[in-house]
Amino acid sequence: MSAEPEVRAVAADDLEWRRVHPVTPLVRGWTVLAAALVILGQQSADDSARGGGLIALLRSGLWWTVLVALALVALIGFGYAALAWRMTAYAVGEETVHMRKGVLFRQHRHARLDRLQAVDIRRPLVARFFGLCELTLEVAGGGDSGVAIGFLRDADAAELRAELLARSAGVRTPGHGTQPGTAGPGTSLPGATAPPGTAAPDAVGAPGADAPLRADGALGEGTAGDVVHPGARPASGSATRPALLEAPENLVLTVPAVRLIASLLRSSATIGLVVFLVGLVVVVSVTGRPGIALSMLPAVLGAGGYLFNRFTNEFDFRVAISADGIRLRHGLLETRAQTIPPGRVQAVGLTQGLLWRGRDWWRVQVNVAGYGEKAQTNDVLLPVGTREEALVVLSLVLPDLGVEDARALLEEGLSGDSSVGGRFTGSPRQARVLDPIAWRRNGFSVTGRALLLRRGRLNRSLDVVPHERTQSLAVVQGPWQRRLGLATFAVHSTQGPVGPVAPHLDAGDAARLLDEQARRARTARASAGPERWMELPRD
Amino acid sequence: MTSPFDPPAVTWSRVSPRLVTARLVPAAITLGIPVLVGVALAFAASPWFWILAGIPAAIFALVAFVVPRQVRAIGYAERDDDLLIRKGLMFRSLTVVPYGRMQYVDVEAGPLDRKLGLAKVQLHTASVGTDAQIPGLPPDEAARLRDRLASRGEARLAGL
Repeated sequence: MSAEPEVRAVAADDLEWRRVHPVTPLVRGWTVLAAALVILGQQSADDSARGGGLIALLRSGLWWTVLVALALVALIGFGYAALAWRMTAYAVGEETVHMRKGVLFRQHRHARLDRLQAVDIRRPLVARFFGLCELTLEVAGGGDSGVAIGFLRDADAAELRAELLARSAGVRTPGHGTQPGTAGPGTSLPGATAPPGTAAPDAVGAPGADAPLRADGALGEGTAGDVVHPGARPASGSATRPALLEAPENLVLTVPAVRLIASLLRSSATIGLVVFLVGLVVVVSVTGRPGIALSMLPAVLGAGGYLFNRFTNEFDFRVAISADGIRLRHGLLETRAQTIPPGRVQAVGLTQGLLWRGRDWWRVQVNVAGYGEKAQTNDVLLPVGTREEALVVLSLVLPDLGVEDARALLEEGLSGDSSVGGRFTGSPRQARVLDPIAWRRNGFSVTGRALLLRRGRLNRSLDVVPHERTQSLAVVQGPWQRRLGLATFAVHSTQGPVGPVAPHLDAGDAARLLDEQARRARTARASAGPERWMELPRD
Repeated sequence: MTSPFDPPAVTWSRVSPRLVTARLVPAAITLGIPVLVGVALAFAASPWFWILAGIPAAIFALVAFVVPRQVRAIGYAERDDDLLIRKGLMFRSLTVVPYGRMQYVDVEAGPLDRKLGLAKVQLHTASVGTDAQIPGLPPDEAARLRDRLASRGEARLAGL
């Protein structure tokens, strides 16, 4: 198969329009056939219960009609996918990515690279057979705002990702129309003179292309100690790999499969499932009617499906760091490699369920603008890890909390409470009426760079929101809280799993926090780093 | 103890009292129909239907009592760098939206709103959690606010 992307020059804009891989229709069309098969299977299961339908048809002389129908569905599915492939093209400009697609309704989308929030490379199971993957560029538009380019050969996708990240970091490639002197600090990129469209096929076999694989191969070598913080791009990285702009990555930690399984067995979903099953067994044995168990099957399957999805999605989880941000690789059936550049994390949440406490395991999740509703698959920074690992991962996305002895403060946030004092401002004593178990855990702490909010006694959680990522703030107060002089403080972050809130604060504390936080967010924003993380910060 | 809903040195703007009408009319329609049906059936069929008429009537009385107070509780204030919106009687809330975080501003007016001369201004940040809407503004005030917010947002544009 020819992997060379067909290059079609378009006179306008000087864009190099590139096609996605020609095998794409096969991968995409397959889903239509699979859906048809599923529907057929369901129908036959339903009908055969009544003794008619598909099974009867298959036994009769007209069995070939089923095959013809399936072939027709496949033809339509693959035909449409082939047509869609012909109409799909993408181009990478100096500051934008262009995507054209659509058969009936044409769509031409520009995405500004300086607004890039994350780059994901997704390999669905079927695509993996062909060595293909889909690259998704997330911009903060909400809803379906990203640009999905697929399918591409793995090496091409890595190349494209490197190119997108370099451009969005503000690393200029000489020979693409801009002044060559403006390259970012420490990135001269001597050999990157060819336009990206033409360079792609040749560079595939070059030593640089398998750099991510090499990093994969170094499993277990990297430890929490050799963390390279964003911004500290080694100068040698660009010198050894002239054709490729990919920043070198260092593996920070991996999640062993055994621990993932153990953590899932100790998760609240499993506890709920076990309690439910025990209850079901009791009910069935008391009433003597096994039909009840059958009717509860969907609920059990739902919980089981959730656990299975979490297992396959978070399997073989690897966290690495490069100058282009944190890189996550995970997945069993469908694998995913995510890159979240520095400064794109809107909020970080560390949580610990009840049964994780014995091992002191924590789960780290993030809000990234653009990930939005696609929760559960790509908002996890660390599915399960020791406290040490969780804090390392936190330090990768928020390297500087702007406080003396950040470790002790985080410890306080993770497991401390107000009975021992400390740097967190907690709920006053009257809050125990409204929150009898966890009131001592509620609290907030302000550092130079971020707001830390802790809560929860049984399920502990600590949310960290950088000041410059605050969208808006709110104080809410219900009637009981008013009587007790309490108020709940909330930070509004972008859509995601982390909803930072400090419940039942003293009303005066909440008012002060609201006022000061609004000011802090403003000043932090004024001095925040540039959107293009490789450019020098604004003065 | 300072109330968190009265920050010092903030002058609150109120929304138009016509918002009371705008909120009561839909309530009167949706609750009035079961009342009328209940009354008709009470005369025609059985006195038990007075219950059907009475419950929505009582709900409407409660709504008519609460809504004017709710409308009076809505306030907004433009500060130099952010917009404050407060609302609620039982469950109070105060939201601070920095101008630099605004992604876009909506001005909406339904048919009844237009008849009454009202409009709703809604601010959107990158967070879906931001519940920042100011209902019941006169259209020219809504337009003024929209332009002002847009220009201030532009002046303080800071990406995401």
